[in-house]
Amino acid sequence: MRIMTRVVRASAIAAVAGGLMSAPASLPAQDVAIRNATIITIANGDIPNGTIVVRDGKISAVGANVTVPAGVRVIDGTGKFVMPGIIDAHSHGALEGGINEGSESVTPEVQVQVMNDAPMIYRSLAGGVTAAHLMHGSANTIGGQGRVIKMRWGASAEDLLFTGAFRIVKFALGENVTRASSTAPADERRFPMTRMGVDFTVRYWFTKAKEYDQEWAAYRAGMRSNPNAIEPRRDLRLEALSDIMKGDLKVHSHSYRGDEILMLIRVADELGFKVHTFQHVLEGYKVADEMAKHGAMASTFADMWGYKVEAYDAIPYNMALMSQRGVVVSVNSDSDERIRRLYQEAGIGVRYGNMSVNEALKMVTLNPAMQLGVDKMVGTLERGKDGDIAVFSAHPFAAEAMVEYTIVDGKVLFDRSQAATLRKAAEKEGGPGGTR
Amino acid sequence: MARRSLLAIPIVLPLAFATALAQTVDPGKSLTAPKTDYALTNVRIVTAPGRVIERGTVLTRDGRVAAVGANVTIPAGVVRMDLSGHTVYPGLIDAATSVGLPSPTRALLTEADAPAGGRGGRAGGGGRGAPLGRGGASPAAPVVLPEVDAGAEAVDMFAPTDAQMKAFRSGGVTTVGLVFNGGLFPGRVGAALTGSRDNSDQFALRAAVGQQVAFGRNRDSYPGTLIGALAFVRQAFLDAQYEARVEKAFKAGAPGARPSNNPFHRALMPAAANEMQTWFVASSERELARAAAIAKELGLKSPVFVGSREGWRAIPALKESGATAVVSTNWPAVATVTGRMFTAVGMGLSGTVPDEADSTIAREVRANAGALAKAGVPVAFASYGGNSGTTFRDHIRESISAGMSFDDALRAATVTPAALLGVTAAVGTIEVGKLANFVVVSGNDLFASGNPIKHVFVEGRIY
Repeated sequence: MRIMTRVVRASAIAAVAGGLMSAPASLPAQDVAIRNATIITIANGDIPNGTIVVRDGKISAVGANVTVPAGVRVIDGTGKFVMPGIIDAHSHGALEGGINEGSESVTPEVQVQVMNDAPMIYRSLAGGVTAAHLMHGSANTIGGQGRVIKMRWGASAEDLLFTGAFRIVKFALGENVTRASSTAPADERRFPMTRMGVDFTVRYWFTKAKEYDQEWAAYRAGMRSNPNAIEPRRDLRLEALSDIMKGDLKVHSHSYRGDEILMLIRVADELGFKVHTFQHVLEGYKVADEMAKHGAMASTFADMWGYKVEAYDAIPYNMALMSQRGVVVSVNSDSDERIRRLYQEAGIGVRYGNMSVNEALKMVTLNPAMQLGVDKMVGTLERGKDGDIAVFSAHPFAAEAMVEYTIVDGKVLFDRSQAATLRKAAEKEGGPGGTR
Repeated sequence: MARRSLLAIPIVLPLAFATALAQTVDPGKSLTAPKTDYALTNVRIVTAPGRVIERGTVLTRDGRVAAVGANVTIPAGVVRMDLSGHTVYPGLIDAATSVGLPSPTRALLTEADAPAGGRGGRAGGGGRGAPLGRGGASPAAPVVLPEVDAGAEAVDMFAPTDAQMKAFRSGGVTTVGLVFNGGLFPGRVGAALTGSRDNSDQFALRAAVGQQVAFGRNRDSYPGTLIGALAFVRQAFLDAQYEARVEKAFKAGAPGARPSNNPFHRALMPAAANEMQTWFVASSERELARAAAIAKELGLKSPVFVGSREGWRAIPALKESGATAVVSTNWPAVATVTGRMFTAVGMGLSGTVPDEADSTIAREVRANAGALAKAGVPVAFASYGGNSGTTFRDHIRESISAGMSFDDALRAATVTPAALLGVTAAVGTIEVGKLANFVVVSGNDLFASGNPIKHVFVEGRIY
């Protein structure tokens, strides 16, 4: 078995290097099993001395008494903890061509562009992260569309995309949108410059989008009676807003304060769209009932008090309090650095607010999967789900825990025993990256 | 106007044309070259890639090929050139260069556009129509054309210096595709000669060859980023398609139909209707994939990807979109090639790129054109992004050394770009009626190392 493991590893390395030689392609399919580990399924409790088998990229078996088929690479999990691959619902890494199309405040027709060879992807694997939502920035009231990716290091940008994930567009509220920190003279700043203006901007553009929908509806209704009718102009911006109202494009809104969260909920209810997930949402604990009633989820920071005026009422109990009121909560990175230790961020929910360990772990697995529309595929360790797995040296909430293996679609893409020089690459780049 | 009608000139030149030509010459300006006709004799002739006459004659008349073959009767009054031991090739075509074209910043840097005194720089974007000034004497940041320049014709702006023309010819280049360097919708691609028979600066060969899309940004208005530009490009083509629908209804007399007559949308209508090819500036793996996706979404057939410097990494995308790869011989720096990081960061890798990986990339960069040709993607060589002329042939030689067949290389510098530029009737092969554009080298191999170019003919004039 030992020899075979080496052979498989060698071929995986060759495949990564091979990404250079030919048109980018996914790594070859690889079957893998982890035996004798504590398996944190998220969905069905923890299994001590359990085994999980991944075949053809999907979990084929998970349990206490599982036979590993012949020919499958086996990782000895004695003393290790296996959990679903970690999912980050809010990142700006691995993007190119701009994070913010900030020239105008409403740009839902814009879509971020994935940069497949950004080392941040491999760094994320080192933190057990297997999927992330790469978002447009928060400069605009209605920003651009993000992309949900899997961390398939070595693949083309197209092949990183997480098939089946939601289409998601970024909204933003508060200081970033109004450019509160801008020192430019007022006549050079962009509309909106106040929270009133943000409210108006949302109403104005959705009203336009409704007129646009009516124009198309009238055209379609009259097509039979009037064959000479001219097909209306397609407007990508209004089309995106229309998709939001239809539910085809999900809204993830950057937010901090309770009042702005309520404002967007009221405007959304009035105009007929849903805020799918509030991002950051540091004062979510103040308006959790209203969020739950609207059906909005929350993706927040674990502990980010006071780093800007809007964050003065941030408390580390936010995650626990929102969860208690029925809001589905995830904890996100918003940073190429924090993305490596999201499991520690989730642990803060246990310390502050007494979340159960499983509920806290959901904040970096199943809950972000629900927010990104991929919970049928990932987020728990269950038969039939994608083979996206993180293997830890100890329980992920233990201070000494390190990620030993990260597996995506059944392929071992991170193996700490073979990644001793990660640090060297990071140093050459000038450090592990920062926040945006 | 003369430039646009050139392709319509009958193959056999009537006397009337010669007279007309004489009339267009400024009487105050003496011709610097006599209108000499030549007979290139005892010469090996490569009339087209793979088509060779081992020993024959090429006869020119009035700037065109009058006869070519093993047995050609040479009329009186023709200058005979005995070229034993030499080979004559069709003049090379550089499918895309910005040499001789104005910078895409042209329209924004005029006196009228720069407000006196200017204003301080500003982070983020402003609204539409914001002032352009950046203050004082500080140099302007690189900016792009306003989108409304989509109708600008590169041939109308082509104003090369004598030195630039000489540089082209010194590399055997007798025809160039004119493609702007940067911008968003900087204008339309054109074709021009690198010299002319009467030397009267009438180099242009064809206008409106293609609609260029360059994915740049606007400085102080939407789009301010590449991600914005991608959306802007898609919307612009949709608008042009809409304008076409309205115009059609208008012409049919449909009540209420009224075209906007927006000059930007009107300029894009031919490309949006596939009556003109769209030339996307796209070089890297991801740029090529993005351009291919946009072409597919908008129904743009046979797009042209100018740059294509990582074409080998995007062959499926190129093939699916039916694209022609205009491969820049300005090879990308190894350190910039997509995926190089894969060789440094990952399992079993050291954190630094090994020398072998860099050598492999350097080889792949040079093998790019050959790999594309082998995969069935039409390839045209170009100096785009580089400084043209002199090194053009050297870089083609490197592609041949990296595995491209000689004929594929010659095709990529003659027949394919001629077709792409829509000037096959005039250039690309040595055939009766086409322009007398030749390169003459000693021996057999146009691309042999250290083989200097003996003569270059452009429109029958010897250089």
